[in-house]
Amino acid sequence: MSEHRIGVIAAFIDGLMRVKRAPWLVVGTWASTLVMALPLTIVMQEQIAAHLQSSMAAAAAVRGINYDWWNEFLSQTSGAGASFVPAILGFAAVMQNVSGFVDGSDLPSMISLTVIMFLVLSLFLSGGILDRLARDHRVGAAGFFSACGTYFLRFLRLGVAMGVVYWALFGRYHPWLFDDLYPALTQDLTVERTAFLIRAGLYIAFALPLCFFNMLFDYTKVRAVVEDRRSMIAAIAAAWRFIRRQPSAVVALYLLDALLLLGVIGVYYAIAPPAAAPDAWAFSAGQLYIVLRVTVRLQFAASQTALFQGRLAHAGYVARPVPKWPDSPAAAAIGPQ
Amino acid sequence: MPALHTQAAVSARNANYDIDVTLDPATRTLTGREVISWRNIGAIPAYSIRLHLYWNAFRNTNSTWLRQRKLVGDNPFGASRPDDFGYTHVTRIVRLNDDGSDGSDLTQDLRFISPDDQNTDDRSLAAATLVDAVPPGGTMRLRVEWTGKFPRNFDRTGVIGNYYFVSQWFPKLGVFEAGGWTAHQFFANAEFFSDFGRYDVRMTVPDGWVVGATGVEQSRTPLGNGQTTHRYAQDDVHDFAWAASPDFIERREVFQAPGRPQVQMRLLLQPEHAHLAERHFTAAAATLKYYGDWYGAYPYPTLTIVDPAYQSDSGGMEYPTIFTAGTPWLSPRGSGEPEYVVIHETGHQWWYGMVANNEVTHAWLDEGINQYSDARVQDAAFQPIHLTQRFFGGFIPWLYRDIVLSRATDLNWLSTYRRNPDRDSISTPTAALWPGSHQNMSYHKAALMLHTLERMHTWEVMQRVLSVYFTRWKFKHPRSEDFFAVLDEVTGKDHQWFVEQVFQSSNTFDYAIDRLTTEPLGARGLVESADGLTFQESSDGTQFRTTVIVRRLEAGQFPVDVLVTFENGEQARERWDGRGRWAVFSFDRAAKAVSAQIDPERVLLLDMNYTNNSRTLAPEADAAATKWSLRWMVWLQDLFMTWAFVV
Repeated sequence: MSEHRIGVIAAFIDGLMRVKRAPWLVVGTWASTLVMALPLTIVMQEQIAAHLQSSMAAAAAVRGINYDWWNEFLSQTSGAGASFVPAILGFAAVMQNVSGFVDGSDLPSMISLTVIMFLVLSLFLSGGILDRLARDHRVGAAGFFSACGTYFLRFLRLGVAMGVVYWALFGRYHPWLFDDLYPALTQDLTVERTAFLIRAGLYIAFALPLCFFNMLFDYTKVRAVVEDRRSMIAAIAAAWRFIRRQPSAVVALYLLDALLLLGVIGVYYAIAPPAAAPDAWAFSAGQLYIVLRVTVRLQFAASQTALFQGRLAHAGYVARPVPKWPDSPAAAAIGPQ
Repeated sequence: MPALHTQAAVSARNANYDIDVTLDPATRTLTGREVISWRNIGAIPAYSIRLHLYWNAFRNTNSTWLRQRKLVGDNPFGASRPDDFGYTHVTRIVRLNDDGSDGSDLTQDLRFISPDDQNTDDRSLAAATLVDAVPPGGTMRLRVEWTGKFPRNFDRTGVIGNYYFVSQWFPKLGVFEAGGWTAHQFFANAEFFSDFGRYDVRMTVPDGWVVGATGVEQSRTPLGNGQTTHRYAQDDVHDFAWAASPDFIERREVFQAPGRPQVQMRLLLQPEHAHLAERHFTAAAATLKYYGDWYGAYPYPTLTIVDPAYQSDSGGMEYPTIFTAGTPWLSPRGSGEPEYVVIHETGHQWWYGMVANNEVTHAWLDEGINQYSDARVQDAAFQPIHLTQRFFGGFIPWLYRDIVLSRATDLNWLSTYRRNPDRDSISTPTAALWPGSHQNMSYHKAALMLHTLERMHTWEVMQRVLSVYFTRWKFKHPRSEDFFAVLDEVTGKDHQWFVEQVFQSSNTFDYAIDRLTTEPLGARGLVESADGLTFQESSDGTQFRTTVIVRRLEAGQFPVDVLVTFENGEQARERWDGRGRWAVFSFDRAAKAVSAQIDPERVLLLDMNYTNNSRTLAPEADAAATKWSLRWMVWLQDLFMTWAFVV
């Protein structure tokens, strides 16, 4: 046990510094959102262009919102096109996505599939990301992807456990809360504010186990990477022990990171471009926001890793050595003797 | 206070109701006793009566009302508790002699009938045979005693908590017309139809409860037993509704306009909506002003707005001089809530209240005309109205400041109409409409039809059409043909083709520019010359032939203009009768064409696909598509990051 137990604030700041020292992680993760979004964006572009064809309605749509055309497009489109709704505009996108997440709203199947693919990609990258953040020094692309590969199968096994838990939360607990309990609690209410408070309470009731398991799986991954654990069940148990022994620190750090996330969302609320904003500014502001979201996501991982290392190991400790590849025979043959 | 600004009868006043009723909150029941004074204004004797017992629609799931709701997958009583059901039970019905004594007892003869769908389980309409017929011009008086059990308030009427909205609550006669009784069962789709008269109603409720009702309050009498009787009366109305609750907060304002009678506006508000009181009054006053300017003054001295309790599902319903509004707790300015519903329901005082068409068969005459008119009021008094969406279980509003709703398309609900435009026609009797089509036909398509007429004739003409129609038919029962007769008369034009295409048909409309080409004028090929047939390619580059191919893609036919714009700014316009499936228009000009449009002024608002109504030779589709797909991409990336929470 380390004699100098890292504090929550220190872990939070250490996390920020680690993310700052790993700019390519930010760029890479941001790029992963871009790469995964691009195919459907091209599909969307083609759908919109096909609907507009040579119509003069396009000119109005270039200059700003042509809501009449938009409605017409929505009435005639399907698949991913059905998600091209006003809620994509500015901060409404955040409202819709967060609301959809907590309300369990359905997404068009094409979008759901893409989200799942992105989650699998994220799972793949998370081994490399955690390894890089845990070492807190450059590992190079080879080292990064080596870690991705090393942990991917382990995290896929963890993914099964995560899948079961999240299925129980989203597939069973959420419907029970919002489709059964909420109507039962509110069916005779005559005051909307009361109903809203009840719903807010149920959001909290849903968020608490969701965040707990999210935290548990976060530390599972941290322990799997830092301690090079192969058994994910053992890693979950180890994560649970870690949380149980320092619940206040773990929760406080999680809340600090969550506050940072709220701050980023607040910033986007303030700067989200209106529909009439120049395209370059709208795109840049949107991407800046995504970069900040990515940064916060990395901050969760970095600060949790810092806390774990600071409490049970030491900063930068990773059990698995950085892989070193031997020079190829050909390189050895032509290299200096 | 008089019950009307003028005491002179402005309606036939042939169906008068004198009612005493007691509301018992403990059992959620009404106990009532009424005397109906009815005069036969028809041309033949009445040998029987028809009595509406609307609350029996909520008696069980076999009622016509609930069967209709089920047709569209809506089963509001699917998981109901026993106390949620309601009924009206007539305990005694007696015809009174001239001296007021009891005459023939009709109780045993009263039987349920189902003329509309032969549903023998439906008990919303009853009939009884009269021993002595009522001759034309003759009168009869009936005394009816009944008990009513409030249904759970899920549509228009009933109770939730301490909130009672009491409508369709008393046994009520049908309308005796030329051919006999017009009386229908209670349909989920259709509303009501009844004759004008005087209502004098005494409602007894617990002390301290606030009551709002049709007409003017005449007295408030504590009975000393924990109950108070509230008496309201009104002449020249065809229904009576009331609301009672101990929770209402009450606000009052006076509507005044030069040359108009004052109107006492009374708002019975849910406490959580106190901050929205002024917006209710502003919307009601705007409607009283604009409808008064356009169609004719509001003649009643009161207008009561009831703000329904949350989940009462009684919002947005009109009754003479009283209506329910409805608003969410969080309603930012510019969202159109509560303004829209207040305007719409206030507007019904004209279209339904005074011009009292049969809502069971011609609902478009009140709903369609009113929606068209309320859109004008919204546009005139409350723009900008922004698109608003609600998140987090529908509680948190988000106002799209970038999107201002337009009267022509949004406030006439074009996008909603587009979803199911051809399941019925407006002319279908309302109760016979597919239950999912009623709104689309009676409200949206009808409003779009009227706005199309406005674009054909201008607003000034439409305003004259509607004001003549109002003046001619107020306090009467017009039919669809009466409206179109006024339209033809005022415009001086025959609209039969319009009626057939738009009103009577379920066809949809879609006109399109199929192709636009512009090329140098001249011939290429063999032409006559001094040397015989010689090959020539003649074009001096100063003249161009523009060819426009237009198509009618749907069955609906409508005359439309074709407009071509040239590079030099010149424009050429042609009229197409729109009957054929396609047509070609050619224009020889000194400039190339830039664009072509069919129906450039968008007269035909019912065109399902206006994007294909134009074509340009400098298309910007790619630029627009790129712009919007990139905006969409940010949303998708944010969605990724939101769900990334779980990995």
